[in-house]
Amino acid sequence: MPLDILAQIAIGGVLIGGLYALFAFGLSLIYGVARILNFSHGTLLAIAGVLASILYGALGASPLALVAIITGLALAFFLFGWGFHDLLLAPLKRRNHFEASVGTVLTTVGALIVIGDVAATLAGPRPRNIPLRSDVIEIGDVLIPVSQAWMLAGIALLTVVLQLVLTRSWYGRAVRAVTQDHVGATICGVRSRAIHGITFGLGTALAAIAGVLYAMVYPVDPYTGFSLTVKAFTIIVLGGIGNLVGALAAGLFLGVAEAFTAFFWAPEWAPALSITLLLIILVAFPNGFGNTRKA
Amino acid sequence: MIRPALSISATMFGLLAFLSPAQAKVGSCDEPILLGTTISETGPFSTLTDNWKAMTENFFDEINKQGGVNVASCGKKIPVKIVIYDDQSNPSTAVSLYEKMASVDNVDFFVGPDWTSLGLPVPTVAERHKIPIVAANVATPSAYVRGLKYMWGTPYPVVPLWSQRYFEMLAQADPKPRTIFFVTHDNPVMKGITDFWAPKAEEQGIKVVGKETFPADAKDFSAIILKIRAARPDIVYIASFDNVSAPLVQQMRQQRVKAMGVHHTMLTGSLARQVGKDIEGMTGELAWYPGVGGKHSELVGRVLERSKVDMFESIFTMARIGSYLVMVQAIEKAGAVDREKVREALTNGTFESPPGPIVFDDKGFPTSNGAYTIQIQNGKVVVVWPQQTGKAVWPAPSWN
Amino acid sequence: MSRVNDPVAAIGASAAAARRPAPFVGAIVATLCVGAIALVPLLGVPYVTSLIFTLLVSFILAQSWDWVGGLAGYVNLGHFAYYGIGAYAFSIALAAGVPAPLCFVMAIAVVSTVAAILSFPLFRLKGDYFAFATLAILPLSELLAFNLVRLTGGADGVVLPPKYVLSQAFYTALAIAACTFALTVVLARSRFGYALKSIRNDEQAAEVVGIRIFPAKLGVMVLSAAAASLAGAVHAWQLSYIDPPTVFGLNVALVPVAMALFGGSGLLWGPMIGVALLFSIQQALLVNMTMLHATVYGLIILMIGRFMPGGLLRSRLVRSLPALRFLSREIHLDRQEPSRSTSTTRLPLPERKPSPSSELLVCRGLTKAFGGNIAVNNVDITIRQGEIVGLVGANGSGKTTLFNCISKVYEPTGELIFDGRNLAGLRRDQVSAVGVGRSFQNPRPFGDLTVAENVAIAATFRPGGPALPDALSEAASYAAFVGLGDRLDQRADSLSLQEKKSLELARALALHPKLLLVDEVASGLTPSEIRRFVEHIRDIREVYGITVIWVEHIFSALAQVVDRLIVLEQGQVIADAPLAEAVKDERVLAAYLGQVASKEGH
Repeated sequence: MPLDILAQIAIGGVLIGGLYALFAFGLSLIYGVARILNFSHGTLLAIAGVLASILYGALGASPLALVAIITGLALAFFLFGWGFHDLLLAPLKRRNHFEASVGTVLTTVGALIVIGDVAATLAGPRPRNIPLRSDVIEIGDVLIPVSQAWMLAGIALLTVVLQLVLTRSWYGRAVRAVTQDHVGATICGVRSRAIHGITFGLGTALAAIAGVLYAMVYPVDPYTGFSLTVKAFTIIVLGGIGNLVGALAAGLFLGVAEAFTAFFWAPEWAPALSITLLLIILVAFPNGFGNTRKA
Repeated sequence: MIRPALSISATMFGLLAFLSPAQAKVGSCDEPILLGTTISETGPFSTLTDNWKAMTENFFDEINKQGGVNVASCGKKIPVKIVIYDDQSNPSTAVSLYEKMASVDNVDFFVGPDWTSLGLPVPTVAERHKIPIVAANVATPSAYVRGLKYMWGTPYPVVPLWSQRYFEMLAQADPKPRTIFFVTHDNPVMKGITDFWAPKAEEQGIKVVGKETFPADAKDFSAIILKIRAARPDIVYIASFDNVSAPLVQQMRQQRVKAMGVHHTMLTGSLARQVGKDIEGMTGELAWYPGVGGKHSELVGRVLERSKVDMFESIFTMARIGSYLVMVQAIEKAGAVDREKVREALTNGTFESPPGPIVFDDKGFPTSNGAYTIQIQNGKVVVVWPQQTGKAVWPAPSWN
Repeated sequence: MSRVNDPVAAIGASAAAARRPAPFVGAIVATLCVGAIALVPLLGVPYVTSLIFTLLVSFILAQSWDWVGGLAGYVNLGHFAYYGIGAYAFSIALAAGVPAPLCFVMAIAVVSTVAAILSFPLFRLKGDYFAFATLAILPLSELLAFNLVRLTGGADGVVLPPKYVLSQAFYTALAIAACTFALTVVLARSRFGYALKSIRNDEQAAEVVGIRIFPAKLGVMVLSAAAASLAGAVHAWQLSYIDPPTVFGLNVALVPVAMALFGGSGLLWGPMIGVALLFSIQQALLVNMTMLHATVYGLIILMIGRFMPGGLLRSRLVRSLPALRFLSREIHLDRQEPSRSTSTTRLPLPERKPSPSSELLVCRGLTKAFGGNIAVNNVDITIRQGEIVGLVGANGSGKTTLFNCISKVYEPTGELIFDGRNLAGLRRDQVSAVGVGRSFQNPRPFGDLTVAENVAIAATFRPGGPALPDALSEAASYAAFVGLGDRLDQRADSLSLQEKKSLELARALALHPKLLLVDEVASGLTPSEIRRFVEHIRDIREVYGITVIWVEHIFSALAQVVDRLIVLEQGQVIADAPLAEAVKDERVLAAYLGQVASKEGH
């Protein structure tokens, strides 16, 4: 098997793996900190992509517009996520454990339906994307599209930034404290509810960024959300809850594994890989692996 | 425990409250003709039905502007009313709604629905109630071989005719293409197209050097593209729905796939918008295009303009309009608002439509709906075969 | 998932339990209701028939989900996959010419097998991980349906003969739905159902009282899957065509779950009400709104989630309306005849004659480490039959860990021999069956079950234990013994901490243990209560011959009754001697008894 073919497949896998990782960051943070399974996560991502596509067309198709869109949407979704958490999800925590879980499921599923339908009604259900004509970097016989290379660089940078925030800033320390021991952190003066709200907002903002980047490469419509959510769950379990670098690694691994499966076996079986891996990992390590919580 | 009984009864009576009052008697000359249909306004298929509700309402409004449908036995034209529900892209919902239209709204005839998953369950309802149904975008042949006597369909184009004009064009092309690679979306209609046309290509002297299938949610096509590049075909034939193949086309460009021609079975405005300039030079199929003319083309053109539906965007529209046209003509042909007479008129009938006559075989399958071959030239859609508004550029620019 | 501290529900539970109508009235009304629904196809409006048919299918799905979700506490997000696989099994068989009734059998057979196989890996997971894993089953099934083309037809789906079977499908669905509801009623009152309810509350505690966890979970999963498969089969029959997105689509997969939660998971009427309401609302919106009907639907679900997450039937609104209150009732069994037990009545325990020379429990080199922390360090102790042994030590010295090792909550290394049997390799429920009973330091009652049920569960699950009705009668005696005789119908999570500790003891006794491990029950009791408790312990040994190991901080309590004292420090035994000697031991005084001994005046 010639090396350049293997390399091409691997490159394709890495590029899509980076995207998978990005989906998962936001969810990993939200689940890791606030322990909320946000079923509408994927839909938010899709909506961000749809909005980005519309704005890109409206603002004129330039790289500057793109940066403005990413920043604007990230901020808007941050505020939306924070508000969503504080208004709808935080009050549920005061109830007993059963009602809190059930309430979260119903609220996020309801949100999923509402957001999808409103978006489909307002923006139309047709898939949209951000069409970018792109040059290609050639290394021997291996071709790397420039836009995707930038995207991957952006994702890597984002991971580093997030990791620094989590390890160095006061917010990051508070987040890790709350993740490891909620009550203890509260006693030490950390305002857990605010931390949960900010983290939910941050996770939602990450979903928005992921949505914009996703739309630069693949079409999105308001209904594509839920299957993305399932994939994101897979990645955060593989990479470890709350572990961003782990999620990146898991995403990349998954992307490359799927690419190789598609080539050597058959493309239609590639999606089965992530699910099978998820099941195997969960069964071999019932508490997930690489996670930061004590068992 | 009496209370549960009361609650259940209350719920049931509540449900019965959905019954709207009964509508017109079938066959009356003083009441409008009542048609019933569902459109997938929400759910996964809603991406394909943009503005169809408005289009449907406008179509029958245009018909009514001319007085309605000419019913000989009443000696006059009778206006048409159509009941439209949203089937949510869900077969169960569709079945219930068609039952409602049959037994509560008392429609005279059915048009629609679309899609295989709805087009197989729903006609059994029509069959049961003996209501003629002219389905729209139901293209799978398996829907027509079930022995149903009240079902017809107007998919555009049908699988056996899908690329007929394209391959006619290829037969005349110079330099002659010698090899072809099929890339197929895992979908019954698309697979049907490949299964039908790959052997036809071979018959024409074009050797099939590759066949790959991809699932609907595929994102990374490197594997397939590597195989295409290895095979170096003269033609890459993409049998796929438009949106799922956008990444494929983009990646084919990025990975420098070269060919004399790249053909797509569903080249739509949506695909063109998503792919951008990369779509230049590709050929595709289009059921019909205003400007091509044909029977009732003015009516159809007016309807499309009023409802702002672009045939190039919304490629399944012709089939929908086809079913409406057929139904209207069948009633006229039958001469009465009578289900059995209309059924006779539809059986093995021939009807007019802009792309050409619709001829039903004894199974209700239309045998004559082919497509026009188009090509994107300088960003514009040009019908290139039969040579109507333009000539194909061969080998395709930007792919060579 | 455990439910804590809901006083309103507790009051409701105790009040309502006393008012249950005679069962045969229920059966008559149920027959009438089924009969009424059976008349629907005869109304001659197929639209209504098809609507109610779909409603019945939704009900079967939602109710069968709730057996695993509401009864056992496991949220199976992939439940819809069983529906899909059932639909496929049925359709493939029917298309191959197998007669329809047999196709239903095939659907059940295939799906039950799949569910059984999946249970092995899935039930190793808990909580959210279980939810993740089950969620993944759905797209996996869809993928297999797409790709195993020779079997399933792939994207082409399975085409069935186009027969119009609405009436037959309707009656079949009605029969299945009626059986599903009947099974729900039976489960709620059965021993198996109580095993599930215990698992729902506290899986470890359930094991410790003798319930075999995995077979129970496997059983309910298979049952739930079988019902769902029938829903899929009958639906496929009516539609006469299925393809992968129709039966495995993520967009409809969560709807039955939402319906069950909407009505009230775990309540008898919850799924039924949830399905009836949500389905009707959805249909009404569909027919009467031209757009945004899904938005309104989603908003309703969201509002319920936010404001009434326990489900509509648990909301204050419903509970306050007299006409509807019966819907919110939780099912709690109580004994049939009024209790005559007082705290002086004899307990229905076997009276053993312990032989003081036989060893009951032998620990040799018992060690348990957590990472670098060695909690129990090479402990050697021997307990003889009929002894009352006190186990003391500073906080963190390993007392509770030792108990956990003996009752197999943890797996220790070293030798553990009980009544001549080596406990290595035994599960917790087996350890309970051979005669080890324990109470937990932090009480772990089955919170949403009543006091009577808590104790009855322990009674019924001991080897050779009585059936539920008798177990409930027995439970009254144990409860009275520990002073909870007038609290039998109260939910365990509404008890005070003291009362919960008493409940722990009663539950442990109901196991008919040979060895009773009592973990810190005296703290917070008044001196007279302590004295009464000590009397109990003495009776337990004198009258019933049960050996007792008692962990306690309140030394004065121990001193009244123990024969022997074992002192732990940092996981090691530093003293093991008769009481009188131990209190004089230098090391013991220094390590533990220092201040207490000086206070010893009584």
